[in-house]
Amino acid sequence: MMTRLLLPILLMLASLQAGNAIAQPAVAGKSVAETSLIASPEDLKDKRIAVLLGSAQASEATQRWPGATVLQFGSPTDMVVAIKTGKADAALSDGQPLKDILRQDPSLAILPQPLHRIPVGVGFNKGNPALLAQFNAFLASIKRDGTYADMIDRWIEKGVYEMPELGAPPFEQHLTVGVSEGGMPFGGVVNNRWVGFDIEMAQRFAHSQGKSLKIVSLEFGSLIAALVTGKVDLIAASIFITDERKQRINFSDPYFEETTVLLALRTRLAGLAASEDQKAPSGTWLARLKSSVQANLLTENRYLLIWEGLKATVLISVLATALGTLLGALTCWLRMSKRLLLRLPAQGFISLLRGIPVLVLLLILYYVVFASVDINPVLVSVIAFALNFAAYSAEIFRAGIQGLDRGQAEAGIAMGFGRLRTFWYITLPQTIQRVLPVYKGEVISLVKMTSIVGYIAVQDLTKASDIIRSRTFDAFFPLLLAAALYFLIAWALLQAINLLERRTDPHVRRNKGRLA
Amino acid sequence: MIRIEHLSKRYGDVTVLADVSAEIRSGEVVSIIGPSGTGKSTLLRCLNGLETPSGGSIHVDGIDLLDPRSDIDQVRRTMNMVFQSFNLFSHLTVLENLTLGPIKLKGMPTAQASARALELLDLVGLTQKADHLPDELSGGQKQRVAIARCLAMDPKIILFDEPTSALDPTMVSEVLAVIRKLARDGMTMAIVTHEMAFARDVSNRVFYMDEGRIYEQGTPEEIFEQPRLEKTRAFVNRIRSLVRHIDTTGYDLYSLNAEIEAFCARQILPQSVRDRLLPLVEECLQLCRPQLDRAPLDLTVAYSEKTGDLELFIERTADAGNLMDQASAPDDLGQRLIKHYAQSVQYTEVEGRARLVFRIDTQGAPLEVAS
Repeated sequence: MMTRLLLPILLMLASLQAGNAIAQPAVAGKSVAETSLIASPEDLKDKRIAVLLGSAQASEATQRWPGATVLQFGSPTDMVVAIKTGKADAALSDGQPLKDILRQDPSLAILPQPLHRIPVGVGFNKGNPALLAQFNAFLASIKRDGTYADMIDRWIEKGVYEMPELGAPPFEQHLTVGVSEGGMPFGGVVNNRWVGFDIEMAQRFAHSQGKSLKIVSLEFGSLIAALVTGKVDLIAASIFITDERKQRINFSDPYFEETTVLLALRTRLAGLAASEDQKAPSGTWLARLKSSVQANLLTENRYLLIWEGLKATVLISVLATALGTLLGALTCWLRMSKRLLLRLPAQGFISLLRGIPVLVLLLILYYVVFASVDINPVLVSVIAFALNFAAYSAEIFRAGIQGLDRGQAEAGIAMGFGRLRTFWYITLPQTIQRVLPVYKGEVISLVKMTSIVGYIAVQDLTKASDIIRSRTFDAFFPLLLAAALYFLIAWALLQAINLLERRTDPHVRRNKGRLA
Repeated sequence: MIRIEHLSKRYGDVTVLADVSAEIRSGEVVSIIGPSGTGKSTLLRCLNGLETPSGGSIHVDGIDLLDPRSDIDQVRRTMNMVFQSFNLFSHLTVLENLTLGPIKLKGMPTAQASARALELLDLVGLTQKADHLPDELSGGQKQRVAIARCLAMDPKIILFDEPTSALDPTMVSEVLAVIRKLARDGMTMAIVTHEMAFARDVSNRVFYMDEGRIYEQGTPEEIFEQPRLEKTRAFVNRIRSLVRHIDTTGYDLYSLNAEIEAFCARQILPQSVRDRLLPLVEECLQLCRPQLDRAPLDLTVAYSEKTGDLELFIERTADAGNLMDQASAPDDLGQRLIKHYAQSVQYTEVEGRARLVFRIDTQGAPLEVAS
């Protein structure tokens, strides 16, 4: 889950290690590439191994190859990109999702022999054994009536990534399933919809219970936390049944046996290296851009993901700014009160909120404060960013008010405006004019900070680009597109505030009046 | 119109206003003068509630200002204030500064408020500046706008808190001219000021404040021509003084001479004055010396910036007698010398104190060497 924060550090470590390899003189005329060919799992002992954060392979790699560098990634996409860019030598991963990747990208290959096979199950909260029993009964029934065999055939053998029409009536109650972009065929977003073996199974199970299915998309590493805190009723993401996990959650009967395979560049695998040349990207720059746009935006209507993400990011930014400004004004008023009883809590609120990283605040709100409440994660995001923004803006407002010429307020009081109207007509307009330049910077920084809401399953712009990357394994286009869109949002907001700034500037206002 | 009774104001241990009672009647122009730090501005700020008094009472048109039930904002709308630092609303144009109050507080239509504002700007000679912002005006112009802003509220009384103290000397007269015009039109005003000539010819009454009280009050003629009290006289004549108490024959003449020289230098007195003053002091002390142990003396050198008079006061208990009496000295040499240096000598006995006043010629030619 923390990969996104740790990634730059990991990448730096990885490149350091690459530097070491170059510094070592080649032994007996053999090139570095030849010495580091991978023929069996044992060759991984001094390599950089990519794994999925929180996966069974992550703990396995650490224990089995103590001399290796284990790089934990948040999604299979990041792992694949790391392999392709040489940040990691090999990846340990579930076998099924890789089938799809291997079909798309001939530069990658897996060792023919899987490392081992592990049963896969659906996870349930230990406090809800009844649901577990119902699921096991459901599983047995679909195995009996042939539905299960049909699903295996469609999703896993043939690789048809389409959800069948289940034709269920709308139900009043719903069942919440936590899923993760574990990759197809088990679960992923196609045509802006969640599909996959796990998804169909969860859907069928929900309907068998007379409920509709609600899908919550999470990082793989947060699935168990979400289940334990009651955010979701069950988790289905081709999860290996391990003893360690059994201590925290209950598992259903296994519904599949997943293999663990070793993925690497074809050129790095002994025996396969010479067999096929790596396909270099072909065509002109424009043609490559065209194919990038095709793959990242048009295929499966992926631009819809970006559009939805953009809407979420703008919604959270705007609402959090508005709410945070109001809350900041209130905090500022309390903070400037002469009464200790009002001033102290405001002071405490400000130092507390400014001292907590907003990501941690977001996770605390989602997993602790609103743990037992069914609340929209977008709302949680708005609250978290509004609280954070309030703490900063309160101090900005206070500095603005305290920097004003006290005499003007006094003149207002002496004219009989009273405290409230003096504030409204005299202090406030001047404060706004003074604080806008600093306030602008805070708003922009808030917009950019919202890129972390993906941690609590909000599908924002960053998350949308992650999802696209998980399907296309193109590191650059979705990231650059996201960067450009963030820049545009920030720019548009900046223009809006600049307009306000010009309208409150007395010199501009005065000149306008003269023209009229 | 305003009745102040036993008003006091303390900040912690510091008493700014000790006990002030006064009355300001409708149509009156009252100037409040006095040294710095004697509570003039505090008194004014208490009058419209910018400061809360520690004790006493203030009634404005019969409304008790200190009664929490009184609507003080309503009173303030009829009793506006002009500040030393202008305090124009910096985000509003000159015209908007004038119309904000009438529109928002009196519900006057914008067009009517603007028309009235332009009339008032004409009165203070600033019609051309209506669209300007305060930071584009000179100090004198700002203060005239501030006065017009007060007038826009149609006040019954205007309080001026040192309206010219923050101005360049070149801009003082334009502001004073506006206030004079208001006085002629019969506006009730209370003015804290250091402009003595202005206070003298614009006021009906003058309050001299000192020691946290209204020390002396009267018509401008009474206060400026015949002040009854010593401090008032010293203030209106702008008297600078040096006071020393001498009670032992072992006094340090050289140090005293140095102090007197420094005092003369500060007042920029010519060398001829020092040449007279120093021997005069020395001779006086010489004459007093035999009685010094039982009759200590207070020596005061006082110089009036206003009249240019320099005087030396020697005060002793009355029973010490007049040291200029022939009988009190072994010979008349000292007395003759004193008469040589001083322009005139005057002896009075008041309230058990014997006082000699020597006037020294400040315009005189350099002294010829005494024979």
